Amino acid sequence: MFAHIFNYRLKCLLRDKSTIFWTIAFPLILATFFRLAFSNLGSQEVFKVIDIAVVYDLQYQEDQYFRLALDEASTGDSRLFNITVATAEDAQKLLDENLIKGYITVDTQIKLVVKESGLSQNIIKSFIDNYLQTVAAASTILRNNPSNQQEVIKSLADRENYIKEVSGTDAEPKTMLNYFYSLIAMACFYGGFFGMRETTDIQANISTLAARINVAPVHKLKAFLYSLCAALLIHSIEMLALLGFMHYVLKIDFGYRAGFVVLTTIIGSIAGVLMGALISATVKKSEGLKVAAILTISMLGSFLTGMMFQDMKYIVAQNVPVLSYINPINLLTDALYSLYYYDNLSRYFLNMAFLSVFTILATFGTYLILRRRKYASL
Amino acid sequence: MVIKVKNLVKRYGELIALDHLSFSVREGEIFGLLGPNGSGKTTAINCILSLLKFDKGEIEIFDKPMTPEAYDIKRNIGIVMQNVAVYNELSVYENIDYFCGLYVKDKNLRKELVDEAIEFVDLDDYRKFYPKKLSGGLLRRLNIACGIAHKPELIILDEPTVAVDPQSRNKILEGIKELNRKGATIIYTSHYMEEVEQICSRIMIIDKGRAIATGTKEELKAMITLGEKITVESYDVSEEHLKKLRNLPNIVSVEYKGHLLEIRSSKGKNNLENVLEFIKKENIQFGKIYSELPTLNDVFLEITGKELRD
Amino acid sequence: MPVYKLCMKITRKNIPNLLIYIIVFLIVSSLMAASAQKSYKEQETFSRVKTNIVFINEEESPLIEGLKAELGKTANFIELPDETEALQDALFFRRVIYILRIPEGFTQKFLNGDYMPLKKTTVPDSYSSAYIDLAINKYLNTARLYIQHTDGITQEELVSHLKENLSKETNVEIPYSEPKADLNYSNYFFNYLAYSLLSILILGMSALMISYNDRDLKRRAGCSPLSDTAANLQFILANLTFAMVSWLIMVIFCLIIDAKNILTLNTFYFIISSFIFAFCGSGMGFFIGSVAKGTEAISAITNVVVLGSCFLSGVFVPAEFLGSTALKIASFTPSYWYVKANNQIAQLTHFDAAYIKPVLSDMAIVFCFGTAFFALSLVVRKNRRYS
Repeated sequence: MFAHIFNYRLKCLLRDKSTIFWTIAFPLILATFFRLAFSNLGSQEVFKVIDIAVVYDLQYQEDQYFRLALDEASTGDSRLFNITVATAEDAQKLLDENLIKGYITVDTQIKLVVKESGLSQNIIKSFIDNYLQTVAAASTILRNNPSNQQEVIKSLADRENYIKEVSGTDAEPKTMLNYFYSLIAMACFYGGFFGMRETTDIQANISTLAARINVAPVHKLKAFLYSLCAALLIHSIEMLALLGFMHYVLKIDFGYRAGFVVLTTIIGSIAGVLMGALISATVKKSEGLKVAAILTISMLGSFLTGMMFQDMKYIVAQNVPVLSYINPINLLTDALYSLYYYDNLSRYFLNMAFLSVFTILATFGTYLILRRRKYASL
Repeated sequence: MVIKVKNLVKRYGELIALDHLSFSVREGEIFGLLGPNGSGKTTAINCILSLLKFDKGEIEIFDKPMTPEAYDIKRNIGIVMQNVAVYNELSVYENIDYFCGLYVKDKNLRKELVDEAIEFVDLDDYRKFYPKKLSGGLLRRLNIACGIAHKPELIILDEPTVAVDPQSRNKILEGIKELNRKGATIIYTSHYMEEVEQICSRIMIIDKGRAIATGTKEELKAMITLGEKITVESYDVSEEHLKKLRNLPNIVSVEYKGHLLEIRSSKGKNNLENVLEFIKKENIQFGKIYSELPTLNDVFLEITGKELRD
Repeated sequence: MPVYKLCMKITRKNIPNLLIYIIVFLIVSSLMAASAQKSYKEQETFSRVKTNIVFINEEESPLIEGLKAELGKTANFIELPDETEALQDALFFRRVIYILRIPEGFTQKFLNGDYMPLKKTTVPDSYSSAYIDLAINKYLNTARLYIQHTDGITQEELVSHLKENLSKETNVEIPYSEPKADLNYSNYFFNYLAYSLLSILILGMSALMISYNDRDLKRRAGCSPLSDTAANLQFILANLTFAMVSWLIMVIFCLIIDAKNILTLNTFYFIISSFIFAFCGSGMGFFIGSVAKGTEAISAITNVVVLGSCFLSGVFVPAEFLGSTALKIASFTPSYWYVKANNQIAQLTHFDAAYIKPVLSDMAIVFCFGTAFFALSLVVRKNRRYS
């Protein structure tokens, strides 16, 4: 009997184009978009070269050190600035037309003119700050020890990086990972569509098809379990395909705990399918409402997890921490992220524990509803 | 007894859907459940099948109490639901095979049964079709095939001909008779009295959840006083005529609406002759005149005071 | 105008459904706009909000004290137990952005001119942590300069020199008498409109088209004395009416929330830009409704098209962060040009023709997209009619 129901269920679900679309094609497409959109995130190119102008006045011509510093910052591939040398009026005009972010006048004291505060403006300012401070230091040194001017100027150029990043692994930009993790979580919970089909097709008070199965000489919960197995199998494979696609095609590095990532994804897939089963068993009304409920929960959950907007996650964590623990999508995302991020696995297990409790509750709730074999009304 | 229902009561809140319904179905008969929409036919079927909870009563099938877990009973029942219940993702063959497989484990036997069922409903040309591509009538036939492929001893058909074209309908009715000939006991619900009259060996008329009459169609018709209905098409019938008509022997009621004179008479001889004689005597001009025997509708009308169909 | 009236009736039936979407989108858009604006401010103003960091020193020395004091200019120090778990948790939930660890023996090695790095653990890719990096490196590089070139300098001397040198700051001038209006909220909101408005327009319109495209209905209409052109025109008119109403609701909502900017010219241009985009969205809806068969297909196409174009054209992730491939693909979608126009509008301080021109040309492109969608749909509908 298992093979009979299971095989036919596989056929049924695999031919259900719309569910297949939402559970696998859609996440694949979205992942591709993510990859395209975030291909730059975390890489060197994040900072685009900033257009600035320098006012060509007497002091500028005389201050060779500043010119040198500017030259250095505006040549080469990893340069900070594109510099236009202009008259005061022209520089102002360029600024008005938004062609530059700001201009520098050397004058008696170096000054930065900008239109507003912003990231680029801050970078310009930091650059000049740095210059001024280094010059101050150099002149202090030379005041006490005027003889080795050449050496001081020489050593100005070589700057050491005194900071070393230490964390678990450090292969890919991590911000991007979080987007992909929440996408995986969302896809897992789209498995709810499979769960929805399973309960719809077994509850006699919801569909005639189910009534037909209820009158057959098959134990109802067993029939449900058999076909649920088919749903779980298909969805787990879909999720593994998604993982594989992300890893091998989109070249996303999930860290060194690959086994755990796979395991977590499969558990997430089970959680998603069962959540859908519970929602569909609880919401007795139309199919449209069930779909809306599953979509809303997974979309809203993903939104709160930061799938569209990264910081949302932290806003939630800081202001409504409870929400992070009852949002199953967040639990799954965090579980995946902690695999990558934490050295030990206690945070991972905490998340998985919550997720498992959630899944068990969903299973139990579904069982309570499905266990009924006779209905008050059909 | 194939089915024995005793004092079945089912309430939906205030509404009493089944009111102490009792009946039994004997082996080998086609038992018709006739009643208007909402009279409780489907509710009764669902109670029998243990899909619905009921408030009171006993149900036995094959002389054993029916429960959701009574798999040995269920194995011998075939159900054709009122609504088409098939998987859209499975082809005609697969659908029948799937449902048959819930009853029959042996693969080879199943293959034979499915082929037979397909032949039986004449869907051979559509084996590989998906339900969405089938017309209404074909879909109904598929629905039936799914319910009967495992050759059950008891087949319950709940309005299997709703919204079906006359051609398919006849095919379905013929098929049901054939199933019966091959030995299946059949319960057939419908609100089409013609169908019930055509195929059922015994009929129960229900209204508002109560059985109001049970018997063969002849028995049912014998229950009522009406023996004959005579209709005369005429334009010059006066009040005086009507009065006189009512005084004729055996006449139950006389009504004159538009240009139709409707005379209902109780059972007896020479009813038509008497009317004809009267018309001749009074010299009433008439167009057509015809006489009908009572239908199940008349039975229903006389017992409940309303038409079977509105 | 029978077709028009019919469309309006169908749409009115759909209002409760659409209203739910509109409300959800409004809440989400304003939430996103508000929080994006907040984090934008934190990152980008000159008077930056101090970042929370953890400073763990495994040894004490004047040099390290000085470093800590210098960092105090840009950071708040948070005390946390020195346990991996606690520290990682703090980073995970962003209670702190940066954890700096001074390893034992650092001071001595540094003074001797040997290299020994400090260890940091940070929230990835945050600007704030880049600033901390900058400050630390500046401090230590400058200190090294002294150590290399001043023999026998004591730690105390070094620290006091550094303190003085590093207090130098650039003089920044923002010469506009009237500071630029803070349009971040409107900018974000109008950008997100590309997502919410598109979704609603496509959903509403395709629902309409589906009920209208019902085969029997279409045949009946085809048999009526109404010409095809007239029917299509009325149809387009109905679509536009719907688009305008949805647009109006969303724009009014934004104006109420961001009321302080209501009279600025920037807001005026935002409104124009979004109006043209609504026109274009209506065309997209019309097109999708004409091409797709069935509700399922429509919701699939809608989600892919809307989410895709929004991700690629900088609605969710600012365009500066997007790769060039993404932007190249995005430039084939109207949302790209719409967002581009919006971002330029937000920057406008002068409204002379020269400054407005690029904005107008972006708007024109959006408009052309819209017209093209309508034209394409008409062609598709014409070809479909007899098939």
